[in-house]
Amino acid sequence: MNNIISIKDITYTYPDAVSHAIDNLSLDINTNEWLSIVGKNGSGKSTLTKLIDGLIEADSGTIEIDGQTINEDNIWDARKKIGIIFQNPDHQFVGATVEDDVAFGLENQGVPRPQMVEKVDAALEMVDMQDYKTRDPQSLSGGQKQRVAIAGVLATRPQIIIMDESTSMLDPKGRKTVLDLIKRLRHDQNMTIISITHDIEETQLSERIVVLDNGRVVKDGLPESIYNLGSELTNFGLEEPFSSQLTQLLRNDLKLPEGFLNEEELMDSIWKLSSKM
Amino acid sequence: MPGDSLIYKLDPRGKFLITFYFIGIVFLANNVASYGFLLLFVLFAVYLSKINLGFFLKGLRPMFWLILFTVLLQMFFTPSEHPIWNFGVLTLSKEGMVISAYIFVRFVLIIFVSTLLTLTTTPIEISDSIESILKPLKAIKFPVTQIALMLSIALRFVPLLIDETTKIMDAQRARGVDFGEGGLIKRIKSFVPILIPLFVSSFSIAYDLAIAMESRGYRDGEGRSKYRMLKWEMRDTVAAIVMIVITGILLMIRSY
Amino acid sequence: MEIIFKNVTHAYEANNPLASLGLDDVSVKISDKKFTAIIGKTGSGKSTLVHHINALLKPTSGSVIVGDRTITSETNNKNLKPLRKNVGMVFQFPESQLFEDTVEKDIMFGPMNFGMSEEDAKSSAHDMIELVGLDEKYLEQSPFDLSGGQMRRVAIAGVLASNPETIILDEPTAGLDPVGRKEIMGLFKKLQMQGRTIILITHNMDDVADYADDVIVMHDGKIVGEGTPSEVFNDEKLLTGGMLTLPQSARFAQRLSQKRFKFDKLPITLDELSTEIKQQINGD
Repeated sequence: MNNIISIKDITYTYPDAVSHAIDNLSLDINTNEWLSIVGKNGSGKSTLTKLIDGLIEADSGTIEIDGQTINEDNIWDARKKIGIIFQNPDHQFVGATVEDDVAFGLENQGVPRPQMVEKVDAALEMVDMQDYKTRDPQSLSGGQKQRVAIAGVLATRPQIIIMDESTSMLDPKGRKTVLDLIKRLRHDQNMTIISITHDIEETQLSERIVVLDNGRVVKDGLPESIYNLGSELTNFGLEEPFSSQLTQLLRNDLKLPEGFLNEEELMDSIWKLSSKM
Repeated sequence: MPGDSLIYKLDPRGKFLITFYFIGIVFLANNVASYGFLLLFVLFAVYLSKINLGFFLKGLRPMFWLILFTVLLQMFFTPSEHPIWNFGVLTLSKEGMVISAYIFVRFVLIIFVSTLLTLTTTPIEISDSIESILKPLKAIKFPVTQIALMLSIALRFVPLLIDETTKIMDAQRARGVDFGEGGLIKRIKSFVPILIPLFVSSFSIAYDLAIAMESRGYRDGEGRSKYRMLKWEMRDTVAAIVMIVITGILLMIRSY
Repeated sequence: MEIIFKNVTHAYEANNPLASLGLDDVSVKISDKKFTAIIGKTGSGKSTLVHHINALLKPTSGSVIVGDRTITSETNNKNLKPLRKNVGMVFQFPESQLFEDTVEKDIMFGPMNFGMSEEDAKSSAHDMIELVGLDEKYLEQSPFDLSGGQMRRVAIAGVLASNPETIILDEPTAGLDPVGRKEIMGLFKKLQMQGRTIILITHNMDDVADYADDVIVMHDGKIVGEGTPSEVFNDEKLLTGGMLTLPQSARFAQRLSQKRFKFDKLPITLDELSTEIKQQINGD
């Protein structure tokens, strides 16, 4: 059994809503995999996050976290295993200063103060924000705030990190620092990462992509197989990756290998063609 | 905020209580010597804080009209046996001038000392102090921890909501709203396009925050440990003793 | 309308935490009926610059000329309506400005403030809701029952409804999915083709390459670069100074030129890039 999260037939409807936000959805997420969940605005991505963390309760179906079916009694234990970075950096900053915010999750778990001090420092070091320890959130950039949010999540050592469009409100520089950080963390620690995103380039970092549409899983597979859908991707609100757009434009005139090519592969093929000139 | 001065480092609980205590004993002063003594003490504290005197004078500005009004009232309405000048109900006398000078000094003392507290203590320290001071009320099931957290989150959201207000106001001005134009009704009406969006976004911020807090394991304040720690040190005890000495001296030099 | 900034400096109040973000002796011309993109890091002064165009901010010194209006530090807050009617502004996350109980009333709010009759405003609302790609049936709904993406479109319709000649956009597509983003950007390009002046603040360099005629690059309250997208993205000084990043096509071309390929000028759009590659491989 290698599933850290196992979702079976869940359905959820928002109060007063006509249609289901999540419609009889099943999904298994492997331990230590990096999974991207993509889909249009309103396809149910963020609702799914809240269901996994028990922040809202499914109308039907079950969710297993680390082998335990979550219910009212064990939800708080399940939550300890999951850390979520939300979209708006300003709306998740609880503490008055950087260190207070990182400590918040530890305080909730009743960690004694001496250990807390160590853990806060260690977490801030991991995200490279130790120099900002006593700063207030107003003085930080969006990217820095998200790094603090990540430190706050890391401090409690969860097994799963969910990035709920956490880079969508950042400028390119902030987005890059946050993604580099996640890549590094992923490399250094064993963690399952679920990243919910609109950014097709961001999904190239992951090992598997799940496409949601109208609250259902419509595609599930390796990134290459998803990118191979080509223009069908736009039906799910997505853009084709840059390399496949370019490949299509070149294919009419140049002999390129079949299937999806990432940027490196495409570049190599182009170089090969040019050497025959 | 110059963060390394002695006043800054004092325990905020001590500072909080001392400030209120001091405002209390200001009312004991009643002659030149006692007012002069307190003024010297406050100026010395200002010196110790290493904060530019200008910031304190700025603190006086919003109170300017109140001070002027009170001082003039005392100056011209203090009844006297030996008036220097008399016009109807207005009387100018030596006693009146002395009393209004005292009142003026009293304002300066109180404003300086509270400015000193707010300039050297962060809002979160003040909220921590309140929590600590109210702690005994836990015995009667008063939700002290929750109230303190509420207070600190509220403080955290003030700048956020100010930003939001500015943004919404700009957006509506760009759509042709004129604030402060027309009659009273029209003016009040022009705030509807600000207030509704502001309510909506406050609720959405609050909702997001509640979700974020819950996802990080916040229940209702029970079983929580605390990261911020207030530490009462020798210097705080010294500061308290200084206050007792000040009170003693004040009692000796005031007139009876 | 042509917009001219003449030696404009803007200093925020000294006690404002954003004090360093003003404008520093900015002189620039934004051409009539063109699509101008303003780029630069967060805090470089982009928003401050455009807030001067409809007098939400006034210069501390210098002047801004918008059509036949001149805005200086002396400009009175009265009589700004004609200016603001002509310069529509879509703020970042504009959905937060919605407040009426129906979508129709919200779209009519701006036009009626600017003196349009109720009938005209109503018919404008009907036109605009279609223009932004929503069905007319939404007009009767409360804006707060819509999804985030739909609210964004309603807010944009509310700005367009006054029929402004110049439209300022401050990251109008932030948070939208890529398909939604393309639709909205296409709409603004269409409006420009119909004879409006578009000014877009953005972090998305691909949008700059795909849609803009002119680019203004800002850094620390100053204008550090101006020109067509191709000129700006080929400006060595700006690139090495880290004042801008390249569109994906230009980045790809840059890497391609490590071996055998040579670009006199970096291609900045997919079309340019693919044409260049084909030419260099097949020879001509």
